Amino acid sequence: MSASEMNASEMNSVAVVNQARAMVYRLLSSLFAKEVDHQLLHELTGEQAQAFLAQLASEPAFKQDIDTLISVLNTLKTDKALLELAADYCGLFLVGTKHSASPYASLYLNETGSETPLFGEQHQQMVQFLKQSQLQVQTSFPEPADHIAVILAYAEHICLNSGDAEQLKFIESYLNTWLGNFAAKVTQCDTGTFYSALARLTQSWVTSDLEGLSQTTH
Amino acid sequence: MKRRDFLKGLVSTSYVVLSGASVLAPLNALAAAGAKKDDGWLTTGSHFGAFKMKRKNGVIDQVIPFDSDKYPSDMINGVKGLVYNPSRVRYPMVRLDFLLNGHKSNTSQRGDFRFVRVTWDKALHLLKDSLDEVQTKYGPSGLHAGQTGWRATGQLHSCTSHMQRAIGMHGNFVKKIGDYSTGAGQTILPYILGSTEVYAQGTSWSLILEESDTIILWSNDPYKNLQVGWNAETHESYAYLAQLKEKVKQGKIRVISIDPVVTKTQKYLGCEQLYVNPQTDVALMLGIAHEMVTKNLHDTKFIEGYSLGFDQFLPYLMGESDGVAKTPEWASEITSVSPEIIRDLAKVMTKGRTQMLMGWCIQRQQHGEQPYWMAAVLATMIGQIGLPGGGISYGHHYSSIGVPSSGAAAPGAFPRNLDEDQKPIFDSNDFKGASSTIPVARWIDSILEPGKTIDANGSKVTFPDIKMMVFSGNNPWNHHQDRNRMKQAFHKLECVVSIDVNWTATCRFSDIVLPACTTFERNDIDIYGSYANRGLLAMQKMVEPLYESLSDFEIFTRFAAVLGKEKEYTRGMSEKDWLVKLYNDCKAANAGKFEMPDFEGFWKEGYVYFGEGKPWTRHADFREDPEINPLGTPSGLIEIFSRKIAQYGYDDCPGHPTWMEKAERSHGGPGSNKFPVWMQSCHPDKRLHSQMCESAEFRETYAVKGREPVYMSPADAKQRGIKSGDIVRVFNDRGQLLAGAVVSNNYPQGVIRIQEGAWYGPVGADGSKEGGAKVGALCSYGDPNTLTMDIGTSKLAQACSAYTCLVDFEKYKGKVPEVSSFSGPIETQI
Repeated sequence: MSASEMNASEMNSVAVVNQARAMVYRLLSSLFAKEVDHQLLHELTGEQAQAFLAQLASEPAFKQDIDTLISVLNTLKTDKALLELAADYCGLFLVGTKHSASPYASLYLNETGSETPLFGEQHQQMVQFLKQSQLQVQTSFPEPADHIAVILAYAEHICLNSGDAEQLKFIESYLNTWLGNFAAKVTQCDTGTFYSALARLTQSWVTSDLEGLSQTTH
Repeated sequence: MKRRDFLKGLVSTSYVVLSGASVLAPLNALAAAGAKKDDGWLTTGSHFGAFKMKRKNGVIDQVIPFDSDKYPSDMINGVKGLVYNPSRVRYPMVRLDFLLNGHKSNTSQRGDFRFVRVTWDKALHLLKDSLDEVQTKYGPSGLHAGQTGWRATGQLHSCTSHMQRAIGMHGNFVKKIGDYSTGAGQTILPYILGSTEVYAQGTSWSLILEESDTIILWSNDPYKNLQVGWNAETHESYAYLAQLKEKVKQGKIRVISIDPVVTKTQKYLGCEQLYVNPQTDVALMLGIAHEMVTKNLHDTKFIEGYSLGFDQFLPYLMGESDGVAKTPEWASEITSVSPEIIRDLAKVMTKGRTQMLMGWCIQRQQHGEQPYWMAAVLATMIGQIGLPGGGISYGHHYSSIGVPSSGAAAPGAFPRNLDEDQKPIFDSNDFKGASSTIPVARWIDSILEPGKTIDANGSKVTFPDIKMMVFSGNNPWNHHQDRNRMKQAFHKLECVVSIDVNWTATCRFSDIVLPACTTFERNDIDIYGSYANRGLLAMQKMVEPLYESLSDFEIFTRFAAVLGKEKEYTRGMSEKDWLVKLYNDCKAANAGKFEMPDFEGFWKEGYVYFGEGKPWTRHADFREDPEINPLGTPSGLIEIFSRKIAQYGYDDCPGHPTWMEKAERSHGGPGSNKFPVWMQSCHPDKRLHSQMCESAEFRETYAVKGREPVYMSPADAKQRGIKSGDIVRVFNDRGQLLAGAVVSNNYPQGVIRIQEGAWYGPVGADGSKEGGAKVGALCSYGDPNTLTMDIGTSKLAQACSAYTCLVDFEKYKGKVPEVSSFSGPIETQI
């Protein structure tokens, strides 16, 4: 095998790895962005998604939470069951900030905590990041840009478009700094099990991804 | 390598995350260019004043008062917090059990429950289905869409008008009469002085400053209350208060504040205070009147020429009819004001020119009609009604009353009612023997006791059997009395709908919650200065409606579309068309008198000024010739005795002003053995009712440990081992709340103040997170209406009696709950 062939193969390998990481960020972003509806449920219980989740669960750090997600998804046989999960989503992410786990970075990064006005500093920072990448938040997603779904989607974007060092810096500074507190709040407030498992999975994933990135950047 | 293999394994599953589009999209070049327009200053108006605003990356950044506002309220510092506060209703929501079971849902869940997000389309269809069900099953008496609130600035986007016109296109409904602010006053005064007086333009401040020798502020705190207005407030009244302060200092005008509490106005003016026991003002007035008669100080000529019924009142005053002469000694026993001071007051008030300026608080108590009536009698006895700087006013603390009106025609508004040729889908007017209009504060009675007949203002009112309520821009879980009683009533309702900006307590106790945007997220026009009518303001949209909130115009246009009546609703005009029409109609009405540019010119400039008005004296025309310019009373004269009221035969509102004991009264009155402290719940200093309470950063400028302040005397605090900053539990047999102690010399022993408008935040009775929906819950923030009594003022006005309220309080030693008022619905297990 020639050197150039090795490089090409190596490059391909890096691309595949980043593609996989992007897929995970995309999936997490999708699940935080809106309630599980019939379409999403159909997709997530499909063969390919199940294989994807099974592969994710092969990592011990992720297994327990993925098992929870899968088992909850398997119980969603009726409209009522979907609505109950939607009510969990609503209570956690769509109303108030104090007795819920609102998914905005600003609430976890400022001293004023749950009373922090939205569309503040963290929103502005994310808008700038998006703008630099020629991106913006979808108009159909009328949320501040420091919403976790936006930050995860941006992480997906940089997995495919930026170098490891840049990725590491962003994920470390704009996601990992508050994710632990967020996951703890979700776990504390969740009346079900799905979203607390999702939040913990996100935290474990980011921890593991940062480890991986720090190895490749050193 | 392990990680790499693991990740490659993920790709090999060929899974493609399809679930919806990404939340990111390519940057829209046009939108990005638009965002650069952030730089300019935009103009808008609010109850707190007019101001200019600048954005940064599409977000409100700076807010500064309007150039002409020389006395801006610091409440504009709370405006950003109004828009971006975390309590916003972000999406249309439905209570889950209501979505599943409709009108047969478990209503005990209200206030403590699970919601789900729905689309606007789904929400509006649910609203229509509910209205269909109620109209079909119960007819119009089953629906109350008339419990409406205060106002959001703007002539086009009135929340009440839009809601009532749109719901009215579906069917008829129960409505209210009166309001919580001035219910007793606005009912009694038309009998006495011929108009509501409370909302009428008053004698110009400049004339008061020139002509008055004495000003009596009776339960009146204009320096506090003039910060806010019905329309965008100009704050011009403050210039006159500044002059008054100077005149007080120079000894040119004597100002006496008759009030149990040292008011903000008293402190500002540096004027005198006359302490009076709470709720005993009528006794004090009678004592003064008795002294006037005894010393022949009253103006018999004016009484004879301009009033009716003094002869019928006199035997009561002198004790001939009931054996109790209303002497200064008699009054002193009740009021704690010494007979000497009462005698001196009679002398002072009848010497020189005396202007009485009444506040609204003393009519928000049991028999609240009486102090207003008796004050009018005193003013008649003084004989200066209709003279500049004399007589009586019931409104100089409200909006710009007393600032001369420019005389310009004001713009119209979006219609509240159906157009003449329009008919609702459900056109029945069969209220099944019940009344179609009920006194505003009696709606909870109506839900709890349908079919009951009560007396009200000379008529009989039979309570309709209300099954559904629609609220828009209205938070009765702030302004109505007795939360525990409200909970019992809400358990009986089949469907509650609330359209609002934030998760108010009313939203939390609703089934369908629809997000309206703030006044700063839509275009509108407003009058600058309600009574001054100083000009017109362009309310330029500062930011697009946040989340999925919509303007009132848009919400109800969409609802009308669901009814198939969109064109009927909007008359085929867009928001912009309406703004242009309202402006052009106003321009036409002012043609030849006040120059106005075309709409585009006005919008670009942001305002039109109409200039200043001429000083004016209230009732001067009546004084000049009472036959040509009679009052609107039955006789055309001031009615000291009202034959009409006497004919009603009400035991709690007889034919002339009367002192009557209250159901609860402090300082030795009924109930004071058990609950010794009177709680006053006046209009707040840092809010407009409950508007602005949600603005977190601004709230922190006055809150105590995150809670509403409870102001108390040093003596009361010491007796209970309380110091400023302590969390205090205030309680009576009706409820309990937590508030933050502020110990102050402004308060006498036996009096505490908790300002109304403090958002209700119920938690479990023991301070635990769960149980807020239950009767007996503890309010975690300090809403005074947790404690107030839900009774009518009398059979006449049937208005609210929030000021008849005794409590006790203690240092709170239990588990301190987090404040739950600003959090949206809290999900707990029932």
